[in-house]
Amino acid sequence: MTIPTHRATTRSSVLRHLRPGPRGAAALAVSVVATTVLPLLAPPLTGHFVDDAIGGASTRHLVLIAAGYLALALAGQLARMLTAWLASRLAWDGTNRLRETLAGHALGLDMAYHGRRTPGEMIERVDGDVVAVAEFVVAFLLDVVAGVLLLAGVLVIVSAVDPRIGGFLLVYCVLTGYAMARAQRLAVPSAARARAAGAALFGGLEERLAGAEDIRANGAGEHAVYRLYQGSSAWYRANYRSGQIGVGLLAGTWVAFAAGTAIALGLAAWAQRSGAITVGTAVLLFQYTLMVRAPFERLIDQLRQYQAALAGVTRIGDLLAERRTLPAPADPRPLPVTGPLELSLEGVGFAYPDDGEQVLSDVTLSLAPGETLGLVGRTGSGKTSVARLVLRLYDPTEGAVRVGGVDLRDADPSSVRSRICAVTQDVQVFAAGVRDNLTLFRPPPDDSVLRDVLVDVGLGDWLASLPDGLDTVLGGVSGTGVSAGEAQLLALARAFLADPGLVVMDEASSRLDPATERRIERSVDRLLRGRTGVLIAHRLSSLSRVDKIAVIDGGRVVEYGRRENLAADPTSRFARMLDMAGVSR
Amino acid sequence: MKPVSLVVARLVRNDLRRYLVGGLLWLPVSVIPLGSGLLLQQIFDRIGGQRVAGLDQILWLCAAFVGVEVVRGLIMYVANLYGGYWWDAMATLLRANVLRSLLTAPGPAAGRQPHSPGESVARLRDDVSDLVELVDESVPLAGTFLFSGAALAIMATVDPVITLVLVVPMIVVGVLSRLMSEVVRRLHSRARGLGAAVTAYIGETFAGVLAIKTAGAEDAVLERLREHNRERRDAAVKDRLASDLLETSTSATVEISTGLVLLLAAPAMRRGDFTVGDLALFTSYVGWLTALPRIVGRVLFRLPQAAVSTERLTRLMAPHEDAGHLSRNSGVWFHREPLSPPGSVPDHGDPLEVVEARGLSVRHDGSGRGVHGIDLLIRRGSFTVVTGAVGSGKTTLVRALLGLARADEGAVFWNGRLVADPGTFLVPGRAAYASQVPRLFSESLRENLLLGRSGDDADLARALESAAFEEGLAEMADGLDTIVGPRGVRLSGGQAQRATAARALVRMPDLLVVDDLSSALDVETEKLLWDRIAGAARDGRGPATLLVVSHRQAALERADQIVVLDRGRVAGRGTLGDLLENCPEMRRLWHEERVVEAEERSERPARPGG
Repeated sequence: MTIPTHRATTRSSVLRHLRPGPRGAAALAVSVVATTVLPLLAPPLTGHFVDDAIGGASTRHLVLIAAGYLALALAGQLARMLTAWLASRLAWDGTNRLRETLAGHALGLDMAYHGRRTPGEMIERVDGDVVAVAEFVVAFLLDVVAGVLLLAGVLVIVSAVDPRIGGFLLVYCVLTGYAMARAQRLAVPSAARARAAGAALFGGLEERLAGAEDIRANGAGEHAVYRLYQGSSAWYRANYRSGQIGVGLLAGTWVAFAAGTAIALGLAAWAQRSGAITVGTAVLLFQYTLMVRAPFERLIDQLRQYQAALAGVTRIGDLLAERRTLPAPADPRPLPVTGPLELSLEGVGFAYPDDGEQVLSDVTLSLAPGETLGLVGRTGSGKTSVARLVLRLYDPTEGAVRVGGVDLRDADPSSVRSRICAVTQDVQVFAAGVRDNLTLFRPPPDDSVLRDVLVDVGLGDWLASLPDGLDTVLGGVSGTGVSAGEAQLLALARAFLADPGLVVMDEASSRLDPATERRIERSVDRLLRGRTGVLIAHRLSSLSRVDKIAVIDGGRVVEYGRRENLAADPTSRFARMLDMAGVSR
Repeated sequence: MKPVSLVVARLVRNDLRRYLVGGLLWLPVSVIPLGSGLLLQQIFDRIGGQRVAGLDQILWLCAAFVGVEVVRGLIMYVANLYGGYWWDAMATLLRANVLRSLLTAPGPAAGRQPHSPGESVARLRDDVSDLVELVDESVPLAGTFLFSGAALAIMATVDPVITLVLVVPMIVVGVLSRLMSEVVRRLHSRARGLGAAVTAYIGETFAGVLAIKTAGAEDAVLERLREHNRERRDAAVKDRLASDLLETSTSATVEISTGLVLLLAAPAMRRGDFTVGDLALFTSYVGWLTALPRIVGRVLFRLPQAAVSTERLTRLMAPHEDAGHLSRNSGVWFHREPLSPPGSVPDHGDPLEVVEARGLSVRHDGSGRGVHGIDLLIRRGSFTVVTGAVGSGKTTLVRALLGLARADEGAVFWNGRLVADPGTFLVPGRAAYASQVPRLFSESLRENLLLGRSGDDADLARALESAAFEEGLAEMADGLDTIVGPRGVRLSGGQAQRATAARALVRMPDLLVVDDLSSALDVETEKLLWDRIAGAARDGRGPATLLVVSHRQAALERADQIVVLDRGRVAGRGTLGDLLENCPEMRRLWHEERVVEAEERSERPARPGG
């Protein structure tokens, strides 16, 4: 019993974000009612027209009725458009709110959450699911609400005119609706199979086009075409089978509506013969019967969308239910506001929350303000975990990380963000202007400051080459491309702008051309001047520039000391490394 | 003949029987509503008392009304299923012609594809269906013309003036939808573009989430998302409104036409010249008549689009191919197995003695990268290594030699004879290639290795062993039947590189070309791989001649010949010993490599020194 209740609450909490404000809701309600009522008023006019024409009313009178009909028809169409406009605006507002809430919520989650998810997955969660819900909400308001109202209106009016025909129409609607919904469900699996066959065909095609050179150079071109024939043939057969049901369903709908119309006509004729209704009323009943068709078809169509939207709502609810794992400090203490920061790790042990495997044990390191530390160790040795703890992306499971004398668990998170800076090797360039890429969308300082920083990191010539200077849009489909080396320098420029007291840096492990590498080295030296630094080193050459070195293996510090002492001691690992490379100590 | 007309004509002619029979089957679906309207006229004339008749006669007419729709539904069902073959067959034909040209036609395929394979697929999917759709549209177009002509004629016999007036709203809708369609298309593509921008921004945000969180820039990032969202909303609402307007204009036409009929028929109806049945007939036909301007508008809209589609698809073909090649009847196999290409390469009868490149130059567009005037001579049984710094042109050289990139100057010679098109000549059994960025397909490992070649598991096992992949294979639950690639088991970068090396090895080429493997293979594994490949070459189990891009010591030490590239030019050539003596660039690279490999070994304290 608890599970459905839980589902119901997440569903309602997700839908709460979509609810429009009172004024929007009122406008929409009025417009939906107008959309429904105006078309309902038209058939009586036709009925009157026919009766009065047969009865010999004046031409003026008939023309007036016809003009009224025209006006009503136009007003009905306008109301429908107004509803469509209002509904899509309100739905977009609501889903945008939901998107922003989701993005904000996800951004607030810890790296423990993000480490396990790809950006593609996050796009699906934050945008894909919301789009499915948005489309359904618009369609729901337009097709389901307005459609049901219209159907109800038709049934009420027809029943008022002739209860027997009204009763028939009601039974007919229920039966047809039930049959169509059932048949629709029958069509779903084969339609899904046809879609899957199409997705497989085009997915395979995309992979082969991406691997065109591998295929050509290995002489497998004809084979790839052969696979296309096979995929197309499977797709054709799936389409055929899905068509058998889908097209059959469509033909069935045609016949069902023709039958409904014919029976209503027969009943109207019978009622008219028996004197219960006039010819005009028969025309009126005929028109109402025709009005049933469109909302019906739309309603059935929405049944399919409903499932997708429901799945989307559930996934959105799941994301919103994710909680932060790092506790906020009860009494936040700020880090020292200026100058380089002292760093100490005291007996630190750490295990990632999802698997519990111990990745760091008894790590003790200390850096005086302004000192730099090089972390050395093979992939998976734990050096990245040390860096993550220093950035407080995780909390240690044992011991403490202190920055400027403050245990990071007690430190004010905003001061941690402003005083400790990370420079990662994978640099995300946003499809946005240079300015936004430097400030990460925060209010920018003076352009002169930005220019100076770019010149400082060695991007002066690059900036000068950009068509619109700091306004040049980078990355994306249409933006200016950024090379790997330029991206590294941009990341350094971001760090300079942040002006932190402690820099945690993951050196780029991929190779760049020698000239760029030298530029990056120079900028790193400048950045670390007068700042405390932790450097995850991938190159022996970078280690010549740090004060201390810690060699990490299996989550433990196996060698730690001042660089010059380690280099002088021929038995140290560090010295052995230098020897092996033939670099002078 | 214009290219688009040629393609359209070919699509009709390639399977003329199915096109004609399908078309003739479909015509009644458009024309039968004429009968429904006439039946309604009869029914209402009897209800209105214009014709004296019993109730049973009316009921029979009602039954006929249903019967007509049953016939129409049946015909539609048959026509749809029959016509589906023609549609899918023509689409497949176009796609296969483009794909075959991209993968087998002479001349480098690089530069023919747009910058992302996703975009190529979009062309093969959407441009192809646009073209087929245009031809397909000819059938309902003809049907609607037939219906409209007949309907207007029938209506004119009842009241020519009203009929004439009713043509006006039809023309208005036609013009309107023609005018609107361009606006709708523009708004739609703008909304789609802004939607894509939001998606991309969210992707970038979460790709850079570490930088954002450590900088504390969450609020600023969200504020930007809000701006993107607002822009997207405005565009999406406009898009929706415009397409609604188009849809509404059609339904409004029906309503307005009905109103016009009432307005104009009022005097005649009072006189009794225009009956209730006539009213029913007119309102029924008016609904169907709006299909004509819409379909004419659609065809007019599709025509220029189809020209663009033809042009875009032709651009994917080789330069010497045109719309004729695009649309030629290369066969379709929906009901029987397609002809499978031969599994083994016929012996080319000209085994490699020496392959040579003379004065090879590739100028990348203006960026200065590329290679300039490279000479390369590879003898049977030799191990040649191309080395150089990042961006020195190693991959470009290899791709130009294999004809994958267009050489602006220079030529390739096989045993002293000029090779006219290296791209189609240097393929198995003469040459095979493992690229730097390995591409595996979402298929079984076996299919990925064979790609249509015949070969038994022993051949595959040999190739996998030469490529030092036997451990990777042992880890796989289903062995060679394990589905790998993007939608299967994700192999690590190193595993994928070794699998593509095995793919080249299994083809038993005279010349094996392997691009840089170092990005994903550690020093030890790469050394093992060269040992294995060289061993196989020695005892004749593998390709005897190797051309390799590498900066690893293991490859350089083994080389009979090293070509050192520096900014696209040969900086030195010879054995490692010679080069270390007299080539400064080689000395620099060698020193750097020693440092890097020493560091990598130092990171593996278990096996110091390797």
